[in-house]
Amino acid sequence: MRLWKRSVRKLWNPRSIAGKLTRVNVLVSGTALLLAYVAFLGYDLYTLRADLIHSLATEAGIVGENCVTALLFDDQQAAENTLAALDHSPHIRWAIVVRADGSSFASYRRDPSIQPNLSKTLLAQQSHEYWSKGTDILLGSRIDFQGRNLGAVYLLASTGELARRAGQFGLLSALILLLCFGIAVAATATVRELVTGPLTNLAGTAQIVSKKRDYSVRAPIPSSSDELAFLVQSFNEMLEQIQARDRALEKSRNELEKRVEERTAALTAANKELEAFSYSVAHDLRGPLQHITNIAFLLQNAPAQQGETAALMDKLVEGTDRMAKLIDDLLNLSRATSTPLHRTPVDLSQMSEKILGNLKAENGRRDVRFLVRRGARVIADEGLIQVVLANLLENAWKYTSRLKVAEIEFGFTDDPAGPTFFVRDNGAGFNPRFADRLFRPFQRLHSQSEFPGTGVGLATAQRIIARHGGKIWAESNGEGGAAFYFTLPDDGEK
Amino acid sequence: MSFLQRTVVRALLVTAALASAQPTASETDLKAVYLLNFGKFVRLSGSAASSRPPTFNICVLGHDLIGHALDDVTAHESIDKRAVRVVRISDAYRATGCQVLYISPDEGDGIPADLAALGNADILTVSDAPDFLKDGGMIQFVTQQRHVRFAVSLNAVNRTHLVLSSELLRVALSVTGKIPEDQ
Repeated sequence: MRLWKRSVRKLWNPRSIAGKLTRVNVLVSGTALLLAYVAFLGYDLYTLRADLIHSLATEAGIVGENCVTALLFDDQQAAENTLAALDHSPHIRWAIVVRADGSSFASYRRDPSIQPNLSKTLLAQQSHEYWSKGTDILLGSRIDFQGRNLGAVYLLASTGELARRAGQFGLLSALILLLCFGIAVAATATVRELVTGPLTNLAGTAQIVSKKRDYSVRAPIPSSSDELAFLVQSFNEMLEQIQARDRALEKSRNELEKRVEERTAALTAANKELEAFSYSVAHDLRGPLQHITNIAFLLQNAPAQQGETAALMDKLVEGTDRMAKLIDDLLNLSRATSTPLHRTPVDLSQMSEKILGNLKAENGRRDVRFLVRRGARVIADEGLIQVVLANLLENAWKYTSRLKVAEIEFGFTDDPAGPTFFVRDNGAGFNPRFADRLFRPFQRLHSQSEFPGTGVGLATAQRIIARHGGKIWAESNGEGGAAFYFTLPDDGEK
Repeated sequence: MSFLQRTVVRALLVTAALASAQPTASETDLKAVYLLNFGKFVRLSGSAASSRPPTFNICVLGHDLIGHALDDVTAHESIDKRAVRVVRISDAYRATGCQVLYISPDEGDGIPADLAALGNADILTVSDAPDFLKDGGMIQFVTQQRHVRFAVSLNAVNRTHLVLSSELLRVALSVTGKIPEDQ
């Protein structure tokens, strides 16, 4: 019962195509059938009445003909015998034959209690006429003989039989029309199955696709081979194409990720190998170099020294010194990338003063002015930060070596985002066009003869700062003086 | 004569479209009307039908009791598109040319001779005489309870070429003899 109600509600729902179809069909067929019913009933009533009047007129004519001689020879009995034959016409309630002057001649009564009451009579020129008397019909017909009017016959018929037949017909028609209506509704249901069934399925599929992004679903193809089937098929093909495209996209994305991973792994491995190689080279070179240095030292201090030999020895010692320095730098660079960070609180100001103090102690003859701002405290790896500051301050020391009065400053800015530290000097400076080259390994902007160096220090500093999550950059106007800035955010290694 | 009877007679007179000048309708008047109406229900059969005189003659034989009424009744009347004429005759032998012959009851015992004189001529014979049908006449008036009715002897009719309409026979008081099969 509930299922039936639900299906009826679904069928009647104006928001679905099925509901609209049902409504239209019920409205149209209902209206058409009702109109047809009214028209048929009206027509039937009209024809039944017309038939009744026609048969009454016929009967009146026959009665009139048979009453001619009775009237001519004043034979009332004969006329009443004739009228008695009307007993076979059940719808006639009474009949009366009148003479030409209107006086009653003979009469017939189905029920003796009825008193014939002739309320209407024929006019002079009328051959026959009928009148409605409530549910009865009174019909009058003139009796003529050889062109002379002998009188008239009047019949009163009941329409009860007519009403009964009309009722029967009405009932039958109503049954037939109800049957037609039922067939129409059933036809609607069939149409709904044929048309809206596939459409509902299609709509459901489309909803799944749009909600779940699932392109693997397919709408069921209707058994018919009409436009709907074509529509559903096209929809399914479209889904298939989208699915194929989706799959291809997914595949290429996966391939791309895989390739990136492979490349990254290969790159990392190559980097590791390179670092290990450079470390081992640097480390392994140290032993023989120490050996050479020792021998050179012994030879230098040997008694039998000739002038040219002594000069060559000096050069040898100088060469080994430079090489030792290079190896130290390379090892620093290697460490800068591979050693794990150990963050502790570090006072950069103190560290700078200490490094500058050492430099001053090593080269006491130079007139260098230091300016160190106090209070530069950070959390960082002390050993590595020491390398950075040493590199920057040593560079400043080196590139101011040709000035009479050198100025070297360590300081920091008070930015709300965090301090920016800097090392500034009034030394040789560099061409700002090549500022980005400064931090690449073995890239030098000055010749060895101008300012000796390995070209590794700044690269090392850059790596250390990067590992701390900070940035390092340099500024110079190219005329004189250079400034190196770096930041050290608190949030550690990335 | 009762009021009803007078009304009936007047109605019949009106039916025949006769504005009778007489103030009261008598039995004689009714009989005159009937004589005229008989003429409307009689025809000739077979070959005899072709010979018809230009007027429809209703003849009266014997003492003229009905003549005046008949004159009034038949004035301007016609039967089969022939004008109706009333002819008074004194002798049955002179009845040739009559279509209807009324024989006065005054003829009495002379009636059989009169009828014999007619032979089997095609003349409808009508009379009030009590034994008219026995004597070989065709239609006899019978007054019953103040109603004028008539009796028919088909035996007499069948001897001639005359044919009486069944409608007429239907209203006859009595019919003796049979309708011939070849009618």
